[in-house]
Amino acid sequence: MGSSGDDAGLVARTRAGDRAAFGILVERYAGQARRVARAVLGDPDDADDAAQDGFLSALVKLGQYDSRRPFGPWLMRIVANASTDRRRRRNVRKVEPLDTSLVGGGPRPDAAAMRSELNQRLRAALAELPERRRKAVVLFDVEGYSHAEIAGILGIPEGTVRSEVFHARRRLRTLLADWKEPMR
Amino acid sequence: MIESPSFDHRPDPELGAALRAALEPADDQSVFLARVMAQYDNVLDRSSVAMFDVLASWFRPGMVAAAAALVLGILFGRTILDRMSPESIDAALAPLEGPGLAALVTAEDPPDPSVVFTSLVEP
Repeated sequence: MGSSGDDAGLVARTRAGDRAAFGILVERYAGQARRVARAVLGDPDDADDAAQDGFLSALVKLGQYDSRRPFGPWLMRIVANASTDRRRRRNVRKVEPLDTSLVGGGPRPDAAAMRSELNQRLRAALAELPERRRKAVVLFDVEGYSHAEIAGILGIPEGTVRSEVFHARRRLRTLLADWKEPMR
Repeated sequence: MIESPSFDHRPDPELGAALRAALEPADDQSVFLARVMAQYDNVLDRSSVAMFDVLASWFRPGMVAAAAALVLGILFGRTILDRMSPESIDAALAPLEGPGLAALVTAEDPPDPSVVFTSLVEP
C-alpha cells in the first residue's frame, strides 16, 4: 500500500488535472486492484476489465474522496464493487467446477508443474468460497488491510469481517490439507 | 501454513503469499497501466459531457421560470406606476400653496418676475 500522505498529494494533483499523478496512483494500486478483482471474478481478463472500471470510476468520483482518510480502502471499495457489478451484469460463468483431483489430492506432478498446480488449487479453493468471504481473506491476508478497513471496504461490521476471514482460512486449509509442499 | 487461532488479528503470511502468487496477473503491469491511461481523456470528456447534459436539462425549466418572473415583474411594475402617476400636468406643476399655474396664466396683471423665479428656485 502506498503511503497515505503521498496518496493525498497525488489525489490533489489528479483533481487539478495532472494526468501523470493519476498514472502514479494506477501504477501503485494496479496489483492490488487486479488481485482483488480476480478473487471476485476468477477470470483474469474479466478481472482486468473490472479493475480498469474501478480506476476510471474512481477518477470520475475523485471529488467525493475525503483526503483525510486513506486512499487505498476507498479505491478498493470501488474496485470490489466494480467487480461484483461486472459479475452480476455479465452473469459470469461460475468458475469452472472444482476438479476434485486438485482439491482432494490427486497424483502430484513433478517439480516444474508443482507451483502452477498449487496456484490452480488455491484459485479453485477460493472459487468455492462465497464472494464476500473471498474478498475478506484476500484483502486481509494478501493486501494487508486491517479488519476495520475491510469493514469499510465491504460495508459490513468489523466482527463480520473477522468471522469471514476465519471461515475462509479454515475452508482454504481444509481444501488444501493434503498439500505438503512448502508454500514459499 | 500457520495454524492460527480463530479470529486471529494478524495476517497469515504463508497463506497470503500463496494466495498472492495464485492471483498475481501473468502479464506485465505496464500493459494494464497503458490501457487504463488510454481511457483517461475519454472518461474525463464523458464526465464533462454528462455535466453539460445536466445543465442542459436545467436550461428549459430555467428559461420558463425566468420568463414567468419577467412577466410578473412587468405586471407588478405597471400596477405600481399606475398608482403613482399624476392626474394632470397642472396638478404636477402646482405649488403646494397658492393659486397654481392656471391662476398665473389667466391673471389680468403680469406677475412679478422676482416672485415667479423665487418660487421656482425655492421649493
